[in-house]
Amino acid sequence: MNSDYLDTERQDNIRMLAESAQTFATKASPLTRARGLRGSASGFDRSFWDKLAEQGWTGLLIPEAFAGYGQGFGEMAAVVSALATQVVPEPVVPALVFASRAIEHTGNGDLQQQLLASIVAGELIPGVAWQEELAGLQVNLLASAVVAAPTNSGIQLTGEKHHVRPGADCDGFIVTAKQGNGLSLWWVPANATGVKVQSVALADGTSEASVRFDGVMLDNSQCLAQGDAATVAFTRAYDEALVMTGVELLALQQAMLNMTLEYLRTRVQFGKPIGSFQALQHRAVDLLIQQELTSSVLSQALVMLDGADSNAFERSAMASRVKARASDAGLLLARESIQLHGAIGFTDEYDLGLYVQRALVLSAWLGNAQMHRRRYANLTQMNTASV
Amino acid sequence: MTTKNQTISQSTGQTTDWNALDTEAFRQTVRTFFEQNYPAEMRYPKTRLRWAEIKDWYMTLSKKGWIAPSWPQVHGGMGLSPEKLIVFIEEQERWGVGRAPDMGITMIGPLLIQYGSEEQRQKYLPKIIQGENIWCQGYSEPNAGSDLASLRTDAVEDGDDFIINGQKTWTTLAQDATHIFLLARTDKTVKKQEGISFLLADFTTPGITVRPIRNIAGHEEFCEVFFENVRVPKANLVGGLNQGWGIAKALLGFERIFLGSPKQSQYALSRVEEAAHALGLFGDQGFVDRYTQLQLDVADLSALYVRFVEQVKRGEKLGPDVSMLKVWAAETFSRLANLLVEITGGSGAVAGDIEVNGKKIDVLTSFYNARPATIYGGSSEIQRNILAASVLQLRS
Repeated sequence: MNSDYLDTERQDNIRMLAESAQTFATKASPLTRARGLRGSASGFDRSFWDKLAEQGWTGLLIPEAFAGYGQGFGEMAAVVSALATQVVPEPVVPALVFASRAIEHTGNGDLQQQLLASIVAGELIPGVAWQEELAGLQVNLLASAVVAAPTNSGIQLTGEKHHVRPGADCDGFIVTAKQGNGLSLWWVPANATGVKVQSVALADGTSEASVRFDGVMLDNSQCLAQGDAATVAFTRAYDEALVMTGVELLALQQAMLNMTLEYLRTRVQFGKPIGSFQALQHRAVDLLIQQELTSSVLSQALVMLDGADSNAFERSAMASRVKARASDAGLLLARESIQLHGAIGFTDEYDLGLYVQRALVLSAWLGNAQMHRRRYANLTQMNTASV
Repeated sequence: MTTKNQTISQSTGQTTDWNALDTEAFRQTVRTFFEQNYPAEMRYPKTRLRWAEIKDWYMTLSKKGWIAPSWPQVHGGMGLSPEKLIVFIEEQERWGVGRAPDMGITMIGPLLIQYGSEEQRQKYLPKIIQGENIWCQGYSEPNAGSDLASLRTDAVEDGDDFIINGQKTWTTLAQDATHIFLLARTDKTVKKQEGISFLLADFTTPGITVRPIRNIAGHEEFCEVFFENVRVPKANLVGGLNQGWGIAKALLGFERIFLGSPKQSQYALSRVEEAAHALGLFGDQGFVDRYTQLQLDVADLSALYVRFVEQVKRGEKLGPDVSMLKVWAAETFSRLANLLVEITGGSGAVAGDIEVNGKKIDVLTSFYNARPATIYGGSSEIQRNILAASVLQLRS
């Protein structure tokens, strides 16, 4: 991403953070580590999470009032990007952006304090259980099938959520539930009675989960937000997660394009580097253009997230724009990188596949490009109608 | 500096710090002015407007101090930030404001501001702002298109003058111009790029003949320009002798930024939107999906555009990567033009307007305008060659 929009001092700080994050990631997480963890029990390594906590990154975005470091999205993007370049399998964006921001945006003081402090310490890895559709393009952001309803013995949570990351070794869930006619957000520990986690293997060797809530009893102290406050908190965290997933996808795009260009420059056929052929050059240029479009829209989105006064419509439209572009470009880069490499690009032993598989996962997560174009269309129509 | 400031203020009216306004206030100001002052019958013109048609509007903008939105205020521009410039363009396209002959504003003006002598700036910039001088660009020749550096029009030194002989072609709106900036060969003994100079010529100079060429849309928008022993003073040389290729490349940077602006795509998008409303297509998910995809292609084009404009504002030189902006802008425009032809179905070949549910739809203007967009200023293929060689380091 281009960080020219920032003041010089912050630019310098972000650049330094990006460099140290890159050094850390390359050393602490070579691609062989990501490769080795594929398909393991949880798909990631809890001891690596401790290292992230030691770096201060588990609390990077969390305000100082909650024992965090209170940094912005520009800073978080530097870390997320460096980790994505090494295809790190730990659930950084799911836990440290999506879940942690959802908690931060809600107003439940004690629970909020306690959860955020545990996240900063690296002791708690939360996920957000929000999506009810297994497949298709109709994605309802607000809960309808998962219900929090009063019974004689208290409030009970019932229903099933899909595509929850991390899909294993997740300590607890922020669950979106329909309550009356509104939304509510609940904290449900993974070991609570009535919670059933079904892990689903993903293309990149990590997992997601379908989580069933079979009459889980809820105490009011577990409630993070209700009604409009819940909708506002969830939507904002969701938008922020979309943008940071875009940051990961951009890092993957760059890694794939670099590998492909290196290959085009060095692979010799017909007595010449294949990158000397115009047909292949022009295809490579089209990949560059998509990568740079992703980067440009991301720069604007990060400014918006770090800015004081973005209106919710604009923020959501921007976040969907990012996810649409980053997902489409990510998948294009993945397919074309394989094609431009030839058979070696389709070989498991070759590292390109690590990026391709992660790009597949992140393109689908939180809604794919087409779903986000539809969200954008709905948002901008609503926006026009309301003006 | 002070003196020049005063001169400019006198000639263009008050200067305002537009960038201090918030975006919405600025948008409203621009919108209101366009709505109240741009002639209704000239909205969404089907062809490039000729000077006689657009002159009054040019002068209106000039008097308002708005004719050169991106120029620094010290030279009579609005000094807009990239974000404000985008708003200005969006409002222009939203209201269907026609494009004036603007080579002076978008090309030679910025070039002289950066590379011209103080004398050249003083001589030419105010006359561009005041609409006295209309410029055209003399680059392409019958045998020098994509391979521009092989151009053969030559300029031979003779005392205090150059004598120019040769032919330029595809020169847009040369028939309305008072001046031309051109590339001419001044040294035939060196590598082709190293023997080219950048010259300015007044069309009243004896020996210049302009002949319009009709395009497939039926309009005379480009011309041939012949030079027969045309004598221009050496003061008309911009940059040094034989430095023209470097200057031209810098100008190509400006040109690619200009051609890479979301202007044409926004125009085409608004045409598609209007047609789709008349045709009732916003209830058709298949159409809405494609429309939204293109809408986002235009939005992301704006983001890319802002990035390059900011680079210019910081005073940095544009690199070869600006070619990607031109490719994306032209090809997005072309995809929108295709969609307009497609959604009008059986009427996709009607010359002139069609009428649907009381709404007039102009199907083919965008289609025709999109053809040269991927050719001029370096074709999409040439831009990809440049990007491959200079950005991706893929050598042929």
